[in-house]
Amino acid sequence: MHVLITTPFHPAYVTAERIKKAKNLELLLTAGIGSDHIDLPAAAAAGLTVAEVTGSNTVSVAEDELMRILILLRNFLPGYQQVVKGEWNVAGIAHRAYDLEGKTVGTVGAGRIGRLLLQRLKPFNCNLLYHDRLQINPELEKEIGAKFEEDLDAMLPKCDVIVINTPLTEKTRGMFNKEKIAKMKKGVIIVNNARGAIMDTQAVADACSSGHIAGYGGDVWFPQPAPKDHPWRYMPNHAMTPHISGTTIDAQLRYAAGVKDMLDRYFKGEDFPAENYIVKEGELASQYK
Amino acid sequence: MAMRNATQQVVRALEPSLTRSLHASPGSKKIVGVFYKGGEYAGQNPNFVGCVENALGIRSWLESQGHQYIVTDDKDGPNCELEKHIADAHVLITTPFHPAYVSADRIRRGKNLELLLTAGIGSDHIELPAAAAAGLTVAEVTGSNTVSVAEDQLMRILVLMRNFLPGHHQAISGEWDLAGIAHRAYDLEGKTVGTVGAGRIGKLLLQRLKPFGCNLLYHDRLRVDAALEEELGAAFEEDLDAMLPKCDVVVLNMPLTEKTKGMFNKEKIAKMKKGVIIVNNARGAIMDTQAVADACKSGHIAGYGGDVWYPQPAPKEHPWRYMPNNAMTPHISGTTIDGQLRYAAGVKDMLERYFKGQDFPEPNYIVKEGKLASQYK
Repeated sequence: MHVLITTPFHPAYVTAERIKKAKNLELLLTAGIGSDHIDLPAAAAAGLTVAEVTGSNTVSVAEDELMRILILLRNFLPGYQQVVKGEWNVAGIAHRAYDLEGKTVGTVGAGRIGRLLLQRLKPFNCNLLYHDRLQINPELEKEIGAKFEEDLDAMLPKCDVIVINTPLTEKTRGMFNKEKIAKMKKGVIIVNNARGAIMDTQAVADACSSGHIAGYGGDVWFPQPAPKDHPWRYMPNHAMTPHISGTTIDAQLRYAAGVKDMLDRYFKGEDFPAENYIVKEGELASQYK
Repeated sequence: MAMRNATQQVVRALEPSLTRSLHASPGSKKIVGVFYKGGEYAGQNPNFVGCVENALGIRSWLESQGHQYIVTDDKDGPNCELEKHIADAHVLITTPFHPAYVSADRIRRGKNLELLLTAGIGSDHIELPAAAAAGLTVAEVTGSNTVSVAEDQLMRILVLMRNFLPGHHQAISGEWDLAGIAHRAYDLEGKTVGTVGAGRIGKLLLQRLKPFGCNLLYHDRLRVDAALEEELGAAFEEDLDAMLPKCDVVVLNMPLTEKTKGMFNKEKIAKMKKGVIIVNNARGAIMDTQAVADACKSGHIAGYGGDVWYPQPAPKEHPWRYMPNNAMTPHISGTTIDGQLRYAAGVKDMLERYFKGQDFPEPNYIVKEGKLASQYK
């Protein structure tokens, strides 16, 4: 094959081995965002182009993150479980249900999705913090009302809610392990729609069981599909789903259109929109270096 | 002269009632509170003041002043704990999350009753005209839950629009079937959201919706002032029946009154778009219970969510528990820990003013000197 189109929601792991076998392969397109399921250095070494539909899911994921923050903070799921089981026990929910207003929310990563999340959080009157390699320009920072935290380890203990908004790279893989989680407030809420492998799977499950994490929610796991016995399915106080946030009908239409556009350009020998490139002419995009 | 005589006659006729309502008679008072039981959760969080055991956190404050404070969750039926104390209670504190139905009959038997306080917002569980005729004051903690409910509404809009619950069910059931969720999951961006009622909560909801890039509509008896309307980015819809078919999402934000009871029946629901999402954290009885269940089954309603039912507590067999595509919970949105602390403080403040013979903050009155607040007329 010449072109392989994959999607993060059901990711085909494009290993160095598979790349080696595919003699005609020229182009790897991701229908969606996040190309960590591809061995990118191997793709670069083989002279392949790798591109994704940058921007296609940003709003979808930001909305979904805010939804999960509210679900966990407001203790929605135990209430829903009561309803479908024929129960009614307000105290069973209310004793650990909180408003989002006035809480401190920190986003680890303030790229496209992180910024859209902060914008949506603004009217909730939270204390908004963000950590990133790059500081947002002062005007935008002021408009969003979020404060830059240069030191991640200094930001973590301040937060009632932490949202992960970084790509999965060699640097971020397993970053949130037992030690990192211990730096967070007891009773922290974590939302991760980024990549499951950024977290240490067992450390998250243990912290939910101990109550150090009061709630963990997200749509990403490692691996995907998540096996039947993945611990995150069964740990207490979670708001997990399969990998769906970026594959709403609206997002599907966007990334389908983006793939079609890139195929069109490929057939004509034209460049793609610059921000879509993950690997171009042997070079990895900056976030993966 | 004729006017003055007429007025004097009216005043004389009302006098016993007015005396009953305006000032607390001196001396120690019997205050009865009906709240939900905390059970095993009561001792876990000192801020969990809304439950019976923690009694709004005002027990020692009341008792140190020589007042009697009885708190129970037992409110239904002729032999309940509440019934035992109606006869001599001066103040009855109730809460919408576990509402004690204060009927005309109970009001009649409450010979010492002067004041009905709602720990929260929404006093439709009280027979308000009977309370007014009996000269009682009825007040609630206006503003105590507004942010809580607005947040909760936005959460439920997202839960239904994005089809979260089937996904969560798969996660806890050991399954993985993206198609089963994604085929009917949508972003909120670009959708038309209409709020029926743009009072305190409706406005806070619109503010929180603004960055989502929706088409925002609102219907209300009163139009919001032009500057605020522009800031919210919401368009006024004078005719409710014209607004309904435009909406992908309809949110209920009005009180339960004689006018709004059962308002959203089969005919009203039929005016909405097929596949509409409805969020109702207002009052269950605004909807026709069976009409909602039928429309969820047929798919005319793609998702219905909220924390209010009729009656409350909802019986085990209430149809909304079992209809497809629901995002229901018990009545919790206004009784987060943050909400509880606010309404407990508001109740304490009003009790203090009552003991001193002072007025309450004006927006708190639901019944004052025989008159109902405007939203209940």
